[in-house]
Amino acid sequence: MSEAALSSSPTGASRSPLRTAAPQSGFAPWKDPSKTPMVRFENVVKRFGDFVAVKDCTLDIYEREFFALLGPSGCGKTTLLRMLAGFEKPTSGRILVAGQDITELAPYDRPVNMMFQSYALFPHMTVEQNIGFGLKQDGMPKDQIAQRVEETMAMLELSKFGKRKPHQLSGGQQQRVALARAIAKKPRIVLLDEPLGALDKRLRQTAQFELMGIQERTGTTFIIVTHDQEEAMTVSSRIAVMDHGEFVQIATPGDIYEAPNSRYTANFIGDVNLFEGKVVNVAGGFAEIDWGPGLARFKAVAPEGCAGQQQVWLALRPEKIHIDLDKPTDASNALPGKVVDVGYLGSISHYHVELANGQRVKALRTNSSRTVDRPISWEDKVWLQWPAETGIVLAK
Amino acid sequence: MRRFSWFNATSIALGFAFLYIPILLLVIYSFNESKLVTVWGGWSTKWYASLLQNEGLLNAAWVTLRVAILSSTLATILGTLAAIVLVRAGRFPGRTLFSGLIFAPLVMPEVITGLSMLLLFVALNMDRGFWTVVIAHATFSMCFAAVVVQARLYDFDKSVEEAAMDLGATQIQTFLQVTLPIIAPSVISAWLLSFTLSLDDLVIASFATGPGATTLPMKIYSQVRLGVTPEINAISTIMIGLVTIGVLVASYSTKRASQQQERELKAVDAGAK
Repeated sequence: MSEAALSSSPTGASRSPLRTAAPQSGFAPWKDPSKTPMVRFENVVKRFGDFVAVKDCTLDIYEREFFALLGPSGCGKTTLLRMLAGFEKPTSGRILVAGQDITELAPYDRPVNMMFQSYALFPHMTVEQNIGFGLKQDGMPKDQIAQRVEETMAMLELSKFGKRKPHQLSGGQQQRVALARAIAKKPRIVLLDEPLGALDKRLRQTAQFELMGIQERTGTTFIIVTHDQEEAMTVSSRIAVMDHGEFVQIATPGDIYEAPNSRYTANFIGDVNLFEGKVVNVAGGFAEIDWGPGLARFKAVAPEGCAGQQQVWLALRPEKIHIDLDKPTDASNALPGKVVDVGYLGSISHYHVELANGQRVKALRTNSSRTVDRPISWEDKVWLQWPAETGIVLAK
Repeated sequence: MRRFSWFNATSIALGFAFLYIPILLLVIYSFNESKLVTVWGGWSTKWYASLLQNEGLLNAAWVTLRVAILSSTLATILGTLAAIVLVRAGRFPGRTLFSGLIFAPLVMPEVITGLSMLLLFVALNMDRGFWTVVIAHATFSMCFAAVVVQARLYDFDKSVEEAAMDLGATQIQTFLQVTLPIIAPSVISAWLLSFTLSLDDLVIASFATGPGATTLPMKIYSQVRLGVTPEINAISTIMIGLVTIGVLVASYSTKRASQQQERELKAVDAGAK
């Protein structure tokens, strides 16, 4: 695929000069064209009657990846996962696992195991029986099953609970049993459908790191479906942002955050300020954006193919805006405004600043000095500034 | 809770009296010494003893028991399958009609069910007797079994079955290892309910039966026409006992199943907090 073709596809994050390294730097099999993907969705379409749940999705997921399908409810992410598990059949298109077409295989013949949102533990079986269920179906000898179950329980710190029934466990323990059951058969791919949705926030954060640890130790490909953007950012090597059955962007968490390809992604992942405007001039790799009569033009790095008179949106992350009481002397972009709201969160403060044209801008400031009196408060006249490299120019 | 006022207490007493005084009288008179049913002659269990000598009644009881066991087993199997289709198969053409057809016998007058069974057996040229009664009973109690099992299946998490298939169990293995054990309490209640229904049916059995297959309700009914003997009271008391036990066990197992389910749900909720 050529560079030009890439930039028009959802994977086209490479156009940005602000490339950031993935957390597992060095691990990027998706950049290696010689690799066979572990999972390939090929022009997969799924219709339920008149409703199109998944629109012509093509996606490669590689071995050892922790891949996240992220989107609001009803965006088709769960349908995609269920098609991979075999519970739904694509209306058209193919699904391949390690090069082999599995589109027609029954769920019990596929090398994938799933962890369900509701955990779907067998209520009439003990924890041991739950974890050993899949091994028993494969006809594994009893002593080997016992050994594997023990190993798996040890890995997830469940050894104490082997003889208990699911209803005698806490939610966090049930979640671990569900995960143990999904990895006990050592499948090539583990599917996780909103695996931590039922846990409270603190437990969820612990469980996220536990998931990552298990994934690294077993070396299995994990595919997680979630609507929680923080969860996707934390655990995954790559994220596919979905909307209305389509991929909006497929990239590493860093790229998704720092180089979103659309307003949708920018809004969905993290907080963002958006300014609508028109490109009036492109020179030396920078674009000048006119965003209203009588307002200072923005200066930002011009994306590839950016031309004059094009309608664009400038996306600006709140933490990248510097807020100050004095007018900056040498900033590429500076805006005057008035503080209308301050949210003090301890480590950081949120500022809502109203500009001359009435638009409100969110800015963050780290409370690095230990004072209770903060220098900027309600009704203060402030200046917002940011370098030209910080703003992201979005065409859609 | 509010305490009973005298008005509440009286209405409850009247209601229960209305329902149970006839049955209580029957039970008491089964222990009557006198041969005359309406004259009290002191306590005795002699009619229970003479019952054991009455071959006609005992035969009828044995027939009834066998019919009840066979027909309730058949009804439970068919009813469970019907319930699974109705709950699991989703929308298929004719689903509403199918469910309507399954539940119609619940409200169908027994005389009509019995008569139509009789017409069917005659048309098929089947010899009426033991097996026709079994089939007729299975037919009308199947819909009760289906209702009981269906109720349980509706609040059954389908992903549990998907999980079993995902882990390598085929559809039949999934049904036998996962679905059936989970719905077992409701299947048992369905069986007990069908058993009880078959045990005390008179109308449908009279239509479907033939020579040599007289059930106990039929025997009692025909004897009563000649005059009530205390033996009838005795065997009726035994039947009341059996039915009561059946109903109690059925309702207890249903209640326990729903309590267990509630506990499971609570455990999940508690875990989520």
